[in-house]
Amino acid sequence: MSLETTFPTTPPTPPRLPPLRRLAARCMRNPLGGVIAALVLIFGVSCLLSPHFLTGFNMMIMARALAFIGLVTIGQSILMILGELDLSVGAIGGLAGITGGMLMVQAGLNPWLSLVLCLLLGTACGMLNGVLITQLRLHSLVLTIGMAGVYGGAILVATKGVAITGVPVDISFLGRGLVYGVPVPFIVLLACLGVVAFVMVRTPVGRYVYAIGSNPDAARMLGLRVDAIRIAAFATAGFLSALAGILMVARLGTAQPSIGDTWVLAPIAAAVIGGVATTGGLGSPVGAVLGAVIIGMIENIIVLFGISPYWQSVVSGGIVVLAISFDSLARRYLHREA
Amino acid sequence: MTVLHVSSLRKTYPGVVALDHIDLTLEAGKVHILAGENGAGKSTLIKVLTGLVTPDAGRVDMEGHDALADHALFARVAYVPQELSLFPTMTVAENMFMPFAKSGFGRMTVSRTAMEAAAQKLMTRFGMHARPGQKVGHISVPDQQLLQIARAASAGDFRVLILDEPTSSLTSSETEHLFSILRTLRDEGCAIVFVSHRMEEIFALGDTVTVLRNGRSVGTYPMTELDEGELIRLMSGNSVQLDERFQPGVASATQDIIVDVAHLSGPGFTDASFTLRRGEILGFAGLVGAGRSELMQTMFGYHRATAGRCVLDGREIPRGRPDRAVAMGMLYLPEERRHHGIFPLLSVRENIAVSVMDQIMGGGVISSGRERRVVADAIARFDVRTSSAEKKIMYLSGGNQQKAIIGRAMARRPRVLIFDEPTKGIDIGTKFQIYRIMQQLAEEGVGIILVSSEMAELQRCATRIITMHAGRITGSFDQATTDINTLVGAIIGAPEVRHVA
Repeated sequence: MSLETTFPTTPPTPPRLPPLRRLAARCMRNPLGGVIAALVLIFGVSCLLSPHFLTGFNMMIMARALAFIGLVTIGQSILMILGELDLSVGAIGGLAGITGGMLMVQAGLNPWLSLVLCLLLGTACGMLNGVLITQLRLHSLVLTIGMAGVYGGAILVATKGVAITGVPVDISFLGRGLVYGVPVPFIVLLACLGVVAFVMVRTPVGRYVYAIGSNPDAARMLGLRVDAIRIAAFATAGFLSALAGILMVARLGTAQPSIGDTWVLAPIAAAVIGGVATTGGLGSPVGAVLGAVIIGMIENIIVLFGISPYWQSVVSGGIVVLAISFDSLARRYLHREA
Repeated sequence: MTVLHVSSLRKTYPGVVALDHIDLTLEAGKVHILAGENGAGKSTLIKVLTGLVTPDAGRVDMEGHDALADHALFARVAYVPQELSLFPTMTVAENMFMPFAKSGFGRMTVSRTAMEAAAQKLMTRFGMHARPGQKVGHISVPDQQLLQIARAASAGDFRVLILDEPTSSLTSSETEHLFSILRTLRDEGCAIVFVSHRMEEIFALGDTVTVLRNGRSVGTYPMTELDEGELIRLMSGNSVQLDERFQPGVASATQDIIVDVAHLSGPGFTDASFTLRRGEILGFAGLVGAGRSELMQTMFGYHRATAGRCVLDGREIPRGRPDRAVAMGMLYLPEERRHHGIFPLLSVRENIAVSVMDQIMGGGVISSGRERRVVADAIARFDVRTSSAEKKIMYLSGGNQQKAIIGRAMARRPRVLIFDEPTKGIDIGTKFQIYRIMQQLAEEGVGIILVSSEMAELQRCATRIITMHAGRITGSFDQATTDINTLVGAIIGAPEVRHVA
């Protein structure tokens, strides 16, 4: 709804709010306020509920598990801000991992060279998605469902469904290593998030992504290279998925055909929890990764509690819905007429 | 007889007083005009009258009963919003009677034939040409506009009809048709509230006028007591010179050709050839649908040309590449601001900064200090009224959105600037500000194209006027030496067309 407002004739006086609302209002002024508040809340409750939660070992486990989903989430959130979706990110990650395993084990290629080739492959897959979507004017959701089938099928063709074992130890520290107690994949995640967050906020391309997500027609009228930016964003998402895939291979020591199976829906939920609008133009990769942290914490505490495995997904799904509602409820609470 | 009476209304939004001390009395069988510049509070007042917004203070009485206490009374107010809000993939009849349960067509299942028969009755009453079973996306814009009115009226027992700028996308004959329908409704005893920026419509239709300025009521007057100049003075608060002209000075006229369009064809127009000289304002006149916007958008590369070429400063703009056109210095300010102009979810700052990245970067990175300076500069220079540069642009009034977009375009220092209906839905004070900007730019040597459906606007600003009819250029006229009948003849496609310039 558009709201026609007048230029203030008197200096604006901030409305007096009761203390709790004032605190809430301050939190919500920051776009990340909602997700950070939810994060702190869930973290606090988890600390109280389980003595095993706030231990160095558990934190390390959580950070490492987060890294893979987090990398995919970064890519997906860029696409969502742009107003697109890629449902083939999981398959791209899996394909990159499998290809890495085959290059290293079956072709005997240098592990580092293999790693670079896998990243290139993932980037190329993402770019192919982008090219098909922009050139054939297809809806990204539909096209990437199809491409997920293509990439996922390629994994099965290559492996016949059998894991590739015997990945060289040269790269295993990428998946298993610790630097001052911090898992290497988590450091990779932070580095990627730093770069992407910087690009999104402080470079023209980042601003263009928000502009295109907000109004693609206006962006084209303004002379922005909409298609080129879309292709670049899909390529970035492909790169990040491939990175997650190859790190997973390094972590497991085997290239499993199932890598990436769970990387499709969780990152989208994480991005929404973190304030990224499914309609584009709003949110940030940092918020999306914080959303992934929330999902990771929920899954972790469920395991610590020893909740029956049959109930786990019911509980985690329910808490995800609660976390999404948190932001919208808080805003409604603040905007309620005084 | 008083139908609706409001008194001492006050409504504030965080940081903004939208309405203060508003009194308004609507009489049966009268057309009441709401006049005021963009942001004067007209939309907020309408939202209060329709019950969409609850005022902070004041009374709203519907035929003597307190409507704020009994919300059901607002059902007697029918409201036609400014923006078309229809479901384009559904039929006319479905649009008319949604929600079905409320209109009596959906108790168990929806009966298509009964609904279409009932729709046909209303459509005949409102003079619509479409068929009830047609998809709304396929019917004409005036029919869509009439459908909105018919839909509002289908609620049955309405006593007040509010229309917010219903004519902004209608041609003059369509407007006349709409007016005759409104006059019929008025004579049947309906109280009509009409919002428009077009003076001729206000005076043609209005019985009473209430002028708003900065959220306050300046006064209510019988239409017969005011003339155009007086009304404009009340709205803007300062005197606007009605006979003021904005043609660039003779000194800036040159023979340098900036844009040369040769035999260009594309969607909606064929074989267009013309030139734009440095320092002139070249007007494009024509009816809605004559192909003017399509021609501009194709020159600019937004649509792909099927034949011909557009040369800017001796270099051809490649087909279908708006980014190249912008890089070469041609900018296009689209008619549909909301659809093609603004990034609604982004702040005013981001909306302006997005097109001047090269100016606000330091070492490949956006410098927030430089960004703030460039944005503050554009906001100040083009008088964009916003409480903060961080405000989302969708919350600004239409005129201020337009000024922000012009500020954004100007920050790029373009060589050629195409204004497509730049003052549609914009109040007269802001209108004249925009004319002054165009004039100043032309005198600085920028080539200006002005596409407008308002003949007065073209006569006020353009040095040369090109007319289009049904996708073809029908003439090119020197503004100073051409009378309006010749222009109108060329616009409606009269057979004998003289080429004067």
